[in-house]
Amino acid sequence: MSRAVSRRTFTLAASTALAAPAILPRAALASDTRIDLVHLFSGAEHPIQKLIKAFNDKGTGVTVVSRQDGTTYETITQKAMSAIAAGRGPALMTTGWKLGDFAKKTLGAQDFRQIFGPERTEALLAKFRPAVRPLASIGGVPIGLPWSMSTPVLYINQALWTQAGLDPRAEPKTVEELYPMVHQLQEKTGKQGLCYEVNEWLPQAFIQNAGGNVIDADGKAVMDSAAAVRGIEAFVQPRHDNLWRVMTIPEMLAAFQAGAIGVMASSSGRQTGVRQAVKFDLRLAQMPGLAGHPRRMNSGGNFLAVYSKIKEQQDGAYKFMEFVSSKQGFEIWLATGYLNVTVNDIPVPPGNAAAYAQMDSGLTSETIWPGARGLEALTVHIDWITKIVNGAVSVPEGLRADRQAIEKLIAA
Amino acid sequence: MPLNMAWRRLGESPWRRLRESPWRRLRESPWLFAGPAVAAAVLFVWLPMAATFGLSFFDWSLLRQEATWRGLDHYRGTLANPDFHLALANTGLYLLALLPLQVGVPLALAFALIRIAAKAAGRLYRTALFAPSVLSFPVAAVVWLWLFNPTVGFLNTLTGAVGLPPQRWLSDPDLALWSVVAVTFWKSFGLNLLIFLAALANVPGDVVEAARIDGAGPWRRALDIELPLISPALFFAVVTTFIVVLDEIVGAVDVLTEGGPYRTSSNLLYFLYERGFRRFQFGEAAAVAVLIAAIIAGVTWAQFHFGERRVHYD
Repeated sequence: MSRAVSRRTFTLAASTALAAPAILPRAALASDTRIDLVHLFSGAEHPIQKLIKAFNDKGTGVTVVSRQDGTTYETITQKAMSAIAAGRGPALMTTGWKLGDFAKKTLGAQDFRQIFGPERTEALLAKFRPAVRPLASIGGVPIGLPWSMSTPVLYINQALWTQAGLDPRAEPKTVEELYPMVHQLQEKTGKQGLCYEVNEWLPQAFIQNAGGNVIDADGKAVMDSAAAVRGIEAFVQPRHDNLWRVMTIPEMLAAFQAGAIGVMASSSGRQTGVRQAVKFDLRLAQMPGLAGHPRRMNSGGNFLAVYSKIKEQQDGAYKFMEFVSSKQGFEIWLATGYLNVTVNDIPVPPGNAAAYAQMDSGLTSETIWPGARGLEALTVHIDWITKIVNGAVSVPEGLRADRQAIEKLIAA
Repeated sequence: MPLNMAWRRLGESPWRRLRESPWRRLRESPWLFAGPAVAAAVLFVWLPMAATFGLSFFDWSLLRQEATWRGLDHYRGTLANPDFHLALANTGLYLLALLPLQVGVPLALAFALIRIAAKAAGRLYRTALFAPSVLSFPVAAVVWLWLFNPTVGFLNTLTGAVGLPPQRWLSDPDLALWSVVAVTFWKSFGLNLLIFLAALANVPGDVVEAARIDGAGPWRRALDIELPLISPALFFAVVTTFIVVLDEIVGAVDVLTEGGPYRTSSNLLYFLYERGFRRFQFGEAAAVAVLIAAIIAGVTWAQFHFGERRVHYD
């Protein structure tokens, strides 16, 4: 019996074999609900890519597509706004805490209770610690999954710290304890002692730890109270003492990673990136408070909001958020350096104990800038903080002018 | 009557001639040729300009499609805004610094390069000097951000070597604007260099030769023969550099300083960008756009009115 394969059979089989890889996944994908997840996380190895892949591999009938539209919350918000106006908005987007009001009132972030129903919303949010659940609610309306929380911590270059003769395990509880240590480090090593981020977030920690607020519970600007002035004076003190050379955040990160700065205060969410880049022993410590005042540290980060108005996509988003909140999903997500805000029992990742300890002692939310001109108010506030840090205006004068400008914008 | 004859008769009928006539007239009309270009200009330039002008009198949300009449409020608000005054003053500083640099330096370099006898060396210099122009600002910024770093940057290593204190190039309110000027100059001067090189290459050789025979030295030939002959290119470079400085600097400002610290390195277009695309105040941004367009139109008119008389087109 002849076993020869005819030319026709061979051509048919070869064509099928070649075309299959191209056709089959498309056919499989075509039946899936596709949802775009807009985010700001760079790199193919970032945990968000692993999270999306792990979800897609489960074959739930929903395919999540990663779409990095920028590297800041403001940038991705701008692009989302244009996309929504063009009718091609994201189904899901990582939305900064500070933009919550804007996301709800302008971008149209969906009310979970309306799109998922009260029971399913409760079931989803029940996977998160009670303290963080309200953070993604605007005016009592849940509009997001509070999955990414960070808090300001100290990043200590342990090589410089010990070279300066400081106790390798010393944890300054207040800035009054920290500043002499930083002074000693600078004196002994010749490196820059300290660097703070100049933005709205870290100064908020100082204002709150002095007993003040940036914006009070009634949405009123109160950043020039006596307590707030004390907080910002403590913030700029190392600048006056030549312990802190002011620089932009990318410059600060580059200099710290190069080993040129002893101590840097920044978000615990940066930990993974910083740790990968440094060649020295890195230690994280809790952000110090202010002597004589109870600690009142703030949190930051982003929540996952649903912008799609298509029922199918909303249901797909729910499935993805269910996976994200699960133990399996959150273990992947914690590699970012964000904190475990779920009730899942997951061990504290190595090196992150300080941030967890800070969270356990209670964190407030990041300032949410109210009103249609909230984003402008945020920029104006950062401008006044920068003027104060650069010595262009005194702390009380700068904060008073800041409050007056913010009041006008909130009222607009 | 045979069928083909009947068809011919019909084709010659007054009705057919009447129908053909407008088409023929249109075919002979210049509008047929200019039409597509005019339509594109109307659709993509004039209509958006008119819409922007109209929008400047409203508060408008891109998403809600609601518009609230504000009259001249956005103009009043912008003209009274200290940040707008700062952006306007900074724009003046950017122009004062960059116009002479971006025209003068490439002009001098073009005169030098055109005289390099070795062709390979000339090509190498041209490529090296033009290379920054083809880089995108985000790519260039990665390098410059390292150079400018106040703690580990190369520039402070240099200043330290000559005994100067380290500088905060991008975060010092007195320095940030000048750092942006330096990067913009480095990035943009190559285009004018190419324009001047092309213009110099087209200067008639016999005119230059005649001047040389008459005893004119290199300086005299450059100043009295070549420079007047390339004056159309020079005028073109001045007009376009003015617009390019206003426009291109936004990229440098965005990636290096984001207009900071506290708006000290911002300019008019960045002010507009922030209003429109960071704060989503489209009505206010439209008013700023109208004001900027008026300023540019005024300056360009002045450039043509006062500058063109010195240009030799023959």
